[in-house]
Amino acid sequence: MIGRSLLLAQTLAVAQRLLLEQWRQRRGLIFWAVFPAAMMLLFGLVYAHNASMRAGLDAAAAGILMGAALFFSCLGGTVAIIAAERERRTLRRLLASPLHPSAYFLGVVLAQLLLAAVQVVMLYAIAWFIGARYHGSLWLGGLILLLSVFAYVGMGFFLGARFARRSEEVVVALSAIGVPLLVLGGTFFPLEIMPGAMQAVAQLNPMLHMNQAFKGVAAYALGVNELRFELAFLTLFCVLAMALGVRSYRQLLALEQRA
Amino acid sequence: MKAALQIDGLHKRFGSHQVLDGFSLQVARGEVVGLLGPNGCGKSTVLNIVCQLLQADAGQVQLMGEPLADLGSKARSRVGLCAQDCALYPDLLPAENLHFFGRLYGLSAAERHARVAELMESFGLGPHARTRVGRLSGGWRQRLHLAVALVHRPELLVLDEPSAAVDVAARLDLWRLIEGLRDSGTTILLTSHQLSEAERLCNSVALMQGGRVIAQGSVPELLARVQGEAVASVASSDHAATEQRARRLGWTVRQRSGALSFLLPRRLSLREVVDALDAPEVSAVSVQAVSLEDAYLELLGAPQTKNYTTD
Repeated sequence: MIGRSLLLAQTLAVAQRLLLEQWRQRRGLIFWAVFPAAMMLLFGLVYAHNASMRAGLDAAAAGILMGAALFFSCLGGTVAIIAAERERRTLRRLLASPLHPSAYFLGVVLAQLLLAAVQVVMLYAIAWFIGARYHGSLWLGGLILLLSVFAYVGMGFFLGARFARRSEEVVVALSAIGVPLLVLGGTFFPLEIMPGAMQAVAQLNPMLHMNQAFKGVAAYALGVNELRFELAFLTLFCVLAMALGVRSYRQLLALEQRA
Repeated sequence: MKAALQIDGLHKRFGSHQVLDGFSLQVARGEVVGLLGPNGCGKSTVLNIVCQLLQADAGQVQLMGEPLADLGSKARSRVGLCAQDCALYPDLLPAENLHFFGRLYGLSAAERHARVAELMESFGLGPHARTRVGRLSGGWRQRLHLAVALVHRPELLVLDEPSAAVDVAARLDLWRLIEGLRDSGTTILLTSHQLSEAERLCNSVALMQGGRVIAQGSVPELLARVQGEAVASVASSDHAATEQRARRLGWTVRQRSGALSFLLPRRLSLREVVDALDAPEVSAVSVQAVSLEDAYLELLGAPQTKNYTTD
């Protein structure tokens, strides 16, 4: 058994290391900031140009945050972290240390959560200038963000462990598996225009529930009661994602052992 | 006193390949033991089992008298690993790498700061304190890698071919560092392909073949097991004739391809060897005392084409 204080120290060590590395990779950091900002500006221009669509700007801001910013930074970032650890052989070194898999997972979540918080502030600052507004409870929005980051990181561990052995494979794994999930998550098209079978499959997609929950609170000021199904789904998925993430990490370590 | 590391009857199989087949070894506290053997003989597998990166199929490993299986993950805090690959974070500074691993091992802030400062100084990393690890030369990275393995003051240090990927100058530097650790009483288990490395650093050497130790002892003890005191290397235009003459003199032929090599029952001077051979086909002769390389070849019965280096 690992002590709680050691688990906390390890979690903080992993998170701090990842943030420091992110800070040092300035070019990556610039692209990380530019991508959602550019998306928000482009969507903002399109929505502002069409008076009939202006009402949808609040929902678009929420969709861009969930479907573009957090998808690429939290999911893509986690896949990239796993691939880099494998490539640099540091995963093997971590395995020889007393680092607990849960501490590693939570460290990644914590780092991604802090990055997500910065993205939220940045994206909503741009959205504010364009005319989009956040209407709902900040606490509820924060809770949905927390659950979404957990879910994205869990999926990132799963994809990273199975499909990304090298850095070059990160984009491939993300495009092949992540982007279809994004489409099925209602990021590009509303769920209503999809065929019935696709809608049924989409209901199993956590990204759909992240989008709907965050759009619900941010654009329509919905409360816990109205969003209880999405919140329950996301909470359940978070537990699953964490278990899946830690399990994927363990499997990855087992693979490294045989390497 | 209990041994720092006691390994008994380890077996490990990968698919149909039996990598370890009853491997046993004892490492006393404060001792440096070198594992030598040809590629694929199971050296790295032994280290991986000791570091809990692999599980043995059978056999027992005891660390400081306690079974590894009972220690569980706690054993990882008592062993320091410096693997072949320099597993460091290239975007971090040397001290940041040390701090990160120190935190994983649960060192308190005060303890960690003192230890990192101590290692930065003793490993001469001060001048590179502001250089990201990715921009350090291979030798400096390997130095830091060794320092990282020591950050939590392990009771056993495991080095897997520590100088395999560095240049000659960096290798000599690393050897001096390892000698310093040895002289300060650190228990070390290392693998190497370089016999000179083992000869210089190890108190005891274990020769492996077919997944088990076939000979273990200090370098002089292993040399004593060679049936000869010197080796004569001979360049000859007629190998058969030279071999025949050498056999008549009671010398043992050690190598057949390339330059001939004979194991001499007693130390002879160069002049004595030349006079004894007294043959026009011989164009060059050199005589050297028996080395660990000769013991290696003698005890492993390895053909000269085996992968080993003697630099």
